[in-house]
Amino acid sequence: MDTYFYAFLFCGFICMIGQLILDNTKLTPGHVTSLFVVIGAALDLAGIYDKIVLYAGAGALVPITSFGHLLIHGAMTAVSDNGVMGLSLGIFDLTSAGISIAVVCAFFLALFFKPRH
Amino acid sequence: MTKKFNNVYVADTYTIASIYEKNGPISNYFDLIYNKDFYYGTDTFEKAEEKMLSNSISKLINKVKLVDSDIDYVIAGDLENQIAASNYAMRDFNIPFLGIFSACATFAEGIYIGANFIEGKGCKRVIVSTSSHNMVAERQFRNPTEYGALKKKTTTLTSTGAASILLTSTKSNIKITSATAGIVQDKGISDVNNMGAVMAIAAADTIKRHLNDLHINADYYDLILTGDLGVYGKEILIEYLKESGIDISLNYDDCGLILYDRKKQPVYAGASGPCSSALVLCSYILNEMKQGKYKKVLVVPTGAIFSATRLFQKSSIPSIAHAIALEAI
Repeated sequence: MDTYFYAFLFCGFICMIGQLILDNTKLTPGHVTSLFVVIGAALDLAGIYDKIVLYAGAGALVPITSFGHLLIHGAMTAVSDNGVMGLSLGIFDLTSAGISIAVVCAFFLALFFKPRH
Repeated sequence: MTKKFNNVYVADTYTIASIYEKNGPISNYFDLIYNKDFYYGTDTFEKAEEKMLSNSISKLINKVKLVDSDIDYVIAGDLENQIAASNYAMRDFNIPFLGIFSACATFAEGIYIGANFIEGKGCKRVIVSTSSHNMVAERQFRNPTEYGALKKKTTTLTSTGAASILLTSTKSNIKITSATAGIVQDKGISDVNNMGAVMAIAAADTIKRHLNDLHINADYYDLILTGDLGVYGKEILIEYLKESGIDISLNYDDCGLILYDRKKQPVYAGASGPCSSALVLCSYILNEMKQGKYKKVLVVPTGAIFSATRLFQKSSIPSIAHAIALEAI
């Protein structure tokens, strides 16, 4: 039951930061998204993000910060197998499923639907 | 520079509006409303804008029972890159065409140029046109709908439609008495979500110069109208002019607040786009002038004449406002 509570807290906290940035700065949603990816990556580099996932579960895996966390995870795994080259080889290992699905879905949606107001 | 005119009149107008305009307070005054969708029977938003502009010109020519060869010039502009809507629409006509750009003040610039042509006896009939399309402007200047970004309170909603006005040297019941060309202003603001604040300074400057040049006070006009300052820009303009000792709080309104009802429609700070002032002027205002509600009206559309590329290079947003004075006779 605790996980539900922490998931709510952590994900809500991220959304709150996003809202504060949008309301008080000139940054656009694009900036906020990129910023969160970088923050997620940094937290993972410091070994913190995995601990958050342990407590908050999907609350930490669903928001975009998790994308940064997975980039680092993929890169680090490949580094241990292939050395420095692994950095570039493995960076999209864990996220490629998400990216591919997004590209394919976007293609078919654009094929069948027209933009509305 | 303020020019006075003695023989420039408004012969007729034609306005085409869309969904938001139909749900607004002055929907009864438009000649044509297309409210099925934003495509206007075409397959892209850009083509829709072109077709609306083209239709507003052809239907105006039909309305006054003339043919292409009776019109000496069409002067038109819009918000698309390379004023594409105007350039493409004019393929349909056999009329000399001058393309212009002053962003949302384009219509006033067109009237300024057209009135000067007629006053100089260089020609008899000039059509001035402009168009804007909400979704085209979103794609061009803000974010495409697919991006799903939330808007800020100070944002304005670009109006969708086209308006054309026929200026002539033949006497009619609406006369264009004078016009003031704007001077580009830049106060260093670079917030695209707050155009009202950017453009209010241009409106203030043009109104001040107009009143000075003609040696009149603001109360000379029954109504002073800006184009699309929105609710926040409107307050800023009143403040600016108060500092110069000009009080317009009693006879001033903004077309962006006439075209839409902010209380009932999700339009943020009000309407914007070249069509905001053009639709309100060509339908509601001219009609009320003919009915005798207003006799002397000063229209001061404002334009934020920025380039998206320059914005990314951190340049601020320049603005301009042109003033057109009309009188019912």
